[in-house]
Amino acid sequence: MKLAPLNTVQNAHDDSIWAAAWVPPTDDSGLLLLTGSLDETVRLWNPNGPDKLQTNTGHCLGVVSVAAHPSGRIAASASIDSFIRVFDVATNNTIATLEAPPSEVWQLQFNPQGTTLAAAGGGSASVKLWDTAEWKLIATLEAPRPEGLKPSERSGSKKFALSVAWSPDGRQVASGAMDGTISVFDVPRAKFLHHLEGHCMPVRSLVYSSAPLDSRVLFSASDDGHVHVYDAERKTLITSLSGHSSWVLSVDVSPDGAAIATGSSDKSIRLWDLKMRAATQILTSHTDQVWAVAFGPTLQTDVRSCLLASVSDDKSVSFYKYS
Amino acid sequence: MACVYIPVQNSEEEVRVALDQLPRDATDILDILKAEQAPLDLWLIIAREYFKQGKVDQFKQILEEGSSPEIDEYYADVRYERIAILNALGAYYSYLGKIETKYREKEDYFIQATKYYNKASRIDMHEPSTWIGKGQLLLAKGDGEQAFNAFKIVLDGDRDNVPALLGQACVHFNRGRYSEALELYKLDPDNVEALVALGISDLQTNEAFDIRHGMEKMQQAFEIYPYCAMSLNYLANHFFFTGQHFLVEQLTETALAVTMHGPTKAHSYYNLARSYHSKGDYEKAGMYYMASVKESNSAHDFVLPYYGLGQVQLKLGDLRSSLTNFEKVLEVLPENCDTLKALGHIYVQLEQPEKAQELYRKATKIDPRDPQAFLDLGDLLISTDANAALDTFKTARNLLKRGNEEVPLELLNNIGVLHFERGEFEVSTLFFDTPVRYTWAVMGITGIVRYPVDASSVIRQYKDLTLFQRLEEQGLSVELPWDKVSVLFNLARVLEQLHNTESASTFYRMIMYKYPEYTDAYLRLAAIAKARNSVQVSLELIGDALKVDEKCPDALLMLGDLELKNDDWVKAKETFRTAKDSTDAKDSYAAVCLGNWNYFAANRNEKRAPKLEATHYEKAKELYTKVLLLQSANLYAANGAGMVFAEKGQFDIAKDLFTQVQEAASGVFNVQMPDVWINVAHVHFAQGNFALAVKMYQNCLRKFFYNTDSQVLLYLARTHYEAEQWQECKKTLLRAIHMAPSNYTLRFDVGVTLQKFSTSTLQKTKRTVDEIRATVAELKNAVRVFSLLSAASNLHSHGFDEKKIETHVAYCKHLLEAANVHCELAEREEMQTMQRLEVMRQMELADESRRKAEEQRKVQLEKRKQEDEFKQVMQQEKHLQRIKGLLDTSNNEEGGQRRRKAAGLEDSDVDDEEHKSTKKGPDQTADMQMSDGEANTFNHEIFHANTSMINSGSPLVRPILLWGDDDDDEAHDDPKAASLIKLDSFNEAKELDRMTKQKSVISSTDEDGENYRYMSRIVCVISIEFMRTELAT
Repeated sequence: MKLAPLNTVQNAHDDSIWAAAWVPPTDDSGLLLLTGSLDETVRLWNPNGPDKLQTNTGHCLGVVSVAAHPSGRIAASASIDSFIRVFDVATNNTIATLEAPPSEVWQLQFNPQGTTLAAAGGGSASVKLWDTAEWKLIATLEAPRPEGLKPSERSGSKKFALSVAWSPDGRQVASGAMDGTISVFDVPRAKFLHHLEGHCMPVRSLVYSSAPLDSRVLFSASDDGHVHVYDAERKTLITSLSGHSSWVLSVDVSPDGAAIATGSSDKSIRLWDLKMRAATQILTSHTDQVWAVAFGPTLQTDVRSCLLASVSDDKSVSFYKYS
Repeated sequence: MACVYIPVQNSEEEVRVALDQLPRDATDILDILKAEQAPLDLWLIIAREYFKQGKVDQFKQILEEGSSPEIDEYYADVRYERIAILNALGAYYSYLGKIETKYREKEDYFIQATKYYNKASRIDMHEPSTWIGKGQLLLAKGDGEQAFNAFKIVLDGDRDNVPALLGQACVHFNRGRYSEALELYKLDPDNVEALVALGISDLQTNEAFDIRHGMEKMQQAFEIYPYCAMSLNYLANHFFFTGQHFLVEQLTETALAVTMHGPTKAHSYYNLARSYHSKGDYEKAGMYYMASVKESNSAHDFVLPYYGLGQVQLKLGDLRSSLTNFEKVLEVLPENCDTLKALGHIYVQLEQPEKAQELYRKATKIDPRDPQAFLDLGDLLISTDANAALDTFKTARNLLKRGNEEVPLELLNNIGVLHFERGEFEVSTLFFDTPVRYTWAVMGITGIVRYPVDASSVIRQYKDLTLFQRLEEQGLSVELPWDKVSVLFNLARVLEQLHNTESASTFYRMIMYKYPEYTDAYLRLAAIAKARNSVQVSLELIGDALKVDEKCPDALLMLGDLELKNDDWVKAKETFRTAKDSTDAKDSYAAVCLGNWNYFAANRNEKRAPKLEATHYEKAKELYTKVLLLQSANLYAANGAGMVFAEKGQFDIAKDLFTQVQEAASGVFNVQMPDVWINVAHVHFAQGNFALAVKMYQNCLRKFFYNTDSQVLLYLARTHYEAEQWQECKKTLLRAIHMAPSNYTLRFDVGVTLQKFSTSTLQKTKRTVDEIRATVAELKNAVRVFSLLSAASNLHSHGFDEKKIETHVAYCKHLLEAANVHCELAEREEMQTMQRLEVMRQMELADESRRKAEEQRKVQLEKRKQEDEFKQVMQQEKHLQRIKGLLDTSNNEEGGQRRRKAAGLEDSDVDDEEHKSTKKGPDQTADMQMSDGEANTFNHEIFHANTSMINSGSPLVRPILLWGDDDDDEAHDDPKAASLIKLDSFNEAKELDRMTKQKSVISSTDEDGENYRYMSRIVCVISIEFMRTELAT
């Protein structure tokens, strides 16, 4: 289990890079990486070059999240001005502009089946779902407010939804909030299931395990410096991984489900061996906060390895080979 | 009663002299002796008697008289007695010479002795006793070879002369040839002295077999003559080592009874004292040591009792006397390491660490292989020079390792702590790790048998002890001996520092499980919980700690911080007070906390009450100053004092203070003081040095917060705003939003920044179309931001007045319209310019074609008039050229006029615009207010900048809101007040928390240091007590 550095693009954006997502390969093009930045642009990269293929403008105020449709043809990006732009990857034509005022939008995620786009709704303390055929808002998943709280107690901003993740079967959505709680929803019934507690600081990134037998396992990254591993159905904490010296900003699981990678404000990327429950590798090539890490799909040439991308406040994009 | 009878001359009578009633004045006796011409042996008997009674002067007087020339003449034929007298004198002086320490006197005595012996020799060359005397003298002078020869002369005459044999044996003995000495001693098996000497020489060989042999000899001597003090002493000495104290006492008491000889008595007393010493009866031991010291008079003869006395006095706490005694030992034996260490120890007790250090250093130099000395030296250095201490400890450890001795736990612990304090966490784990490896192993097992925890109770994980119960149920005993607790705690502490929080928490909980009264473990767990924002758990843990020790100041202080975090001001103050009381005002941290409390109390109230404010500031200042008086190096108090100065507008003093604190803090690894960086930046800001302030904020963010603190980002944005760097301001605010998405104030500020940017661009006299386009874009964003805020305020209150946001929205919309007008104008203008350019281009094209036509015509003309005269052609050419030139200039003039016209248009446009804005009012008046308001803000800023000073409260929150206020009237101030206070206190608490953290680090490591120092002290005392008695034997 190892990460080997491949390339780094310095000054990939004009300012801090905040988001990254892999676009699956299509018939026309190979695997691409999508990045979003404070410089109000979304850029498309070919990891093999590595070279920039495209710069998409059209966002105002920084881009906070990007997501790619499983087909690899459509992608979405969201910015602080609370607009979601859905566009054609190849042509950069806008397909739809989504918003759900007064709710902001933070993390975006397409479901694995590609039928729904979920967005963490910030201050509305909910997850918004759009269908990808007609781009209509189909559901708002809301956690019940704790009883006995008056609206004046600003409970809304405490349950501020930041992050969102789909279970591999697309039946569950988990959402992380500013106060550290994670809400789990049943999507088909549009119903809140339960909370997962343990963090008391913002949960900025969530991901379900990709290993076939562990599909209930949810990894969460929090500002408290810990990564928690939950059984999302039995609502138990399996383990807690500590080691980062500052906020953990991003977590992603490898396609084989044996490892997770985390990016942190402490400028490092850690690769964790899930069997050993310990960090096996620490990469310190970035010079500022690492806002996103993302594993790509397994390589066609070598099924036992895949790519990992990381983006940082230092304006660079780095590629690694995981094997 | 022994008497001598002096025969009266020429009669049968005799004078009876009782030997125990000799007259004080020897002259009386001498007169009688001389008058009666008494035989010389009587003179000798009387003189000897005087000597026995210690009346040395009388002894000398008689003998000197007895060896005077007139006696020589009178008793010329009594040779043997005369020789005896001379020999006695010689022996006396050689004894004096032997015990004298001063060189010159020593020499003098020896010369005297030699004189008498030579005189004796002149009377009879062959008298063996003279030769023996001479031999003794030479022996005393240390001239073994000659002494040996002298004894040999005697032995040549009489092969069995016992004293000569003994003398020769003694020479051999001194030369270290024990076996030869033994041979000689053996000649007379029943001579007690020979047996004793033989015994001593056996003992001296230091081999078990010989020692037993020697003791047998001693016993033999004892049986032959039970009153030989020497043998009694040695036997006692032997029994001391075999631990038969009863025998020791009996033997030494007998020895004391039978001897009058000072040194021997001293030895006996010493034996007795030592016996009591080892039995722990220090009073008695002290008495006997004292007696021994008195008997021997000079430390040079017999130094051991001084040493013993020093030890006993040390034990009894009489440091001063102990000090003098050890110093006496040191005079005799200046290189004795144990004495040096003992003295060092006393100086430590007397709180003279410099002297102690010097002594320990000497000890380590004399014996660089004594780990104990290095250990003690290291202990001393800990507080003054941590690096040197570390080196010393490492040396000690290496020595112990090399000697295959077990390295004490405390040493490893101390090395670990020192590494920890240098920030070398990885290294320090190694040292803590070793002693508790067993525990590690157990924990390793627990890593495997971890139990999933129900997610709803997972928050309680830091209090969960079931893990250990379950382990015990499974038969895995979790052992944790008391002496290893500190090490385990330190290990956990390092792991915590290395962010291995999970293991750290497990260890802390283990300590808690095994030793529920170990409050530090509770507090560290509370700190971990607090760092993870689990306030409730943290409070519970502190509560538990307070149950164990309700006056534990650390717990109280943490509680106070948490109460502040919960916005419980009154309680917090009470808690700080209690903490301060419980530390007897010794712990300045509590005082600083109270100072901070007062400082914030002065600032927190939105409605300013100058009186109250002033009292709070005064109180804060008083507290800080008090702390500074006690500890001039207290950074936190100095920082606080700086804050109060800044608050009063004395920025230069404040800046000075802050800069000093900053410098001091950046030199130490375990002091993290972002506050002072922020304060320096605030002062720069308040003084208008925006560039410096920006730099300082940025450095602070990078250095302390991994760029994650949205509050500092807010300060930074505020500085950019004041410096009118709109783009930077906007970007910084966006970053802050990204960090703290739920902080709607930041969004509001973005809106205000965009608005302000647009206003200022539109007011510029010169601007490009691009600028105006950007303005329009930003205004659209501003409208969007404000509208979103307005919509969001329906969902939850975030401290803004909805109406005010709407005012902003309206204003921005209005601006947007104006901007659009501008934009259109500008665009039209651009279009016109474009058209103009187009016209010009076309004209130029026309011109070109005309010229071409002309040329063609010219060519045709040329062709036609080819045959015309050459001159005419030339003239025509020139003419044509002139026409062309004229045409060109006229064209140009036309263009220029048009351009001028366009400029005029623009001018009037500008006029119009200005006109409009004056008419419209809000625009212009708003700006006026703004500048007014800015002045105001600046004042506020000073306050607020200071608010944040120590504990980086939230200087900017309020001013930033004020940006918005500038644009409309001040009526909307109030609703924000409540939320602002909250923000304030939240931030302070955070800051305080930061301080506590550091503090507890320091204190906990300190404590461990303390522990260790205590332990090593004990070790030191023990080592002195059971010091090997090489000296004794």
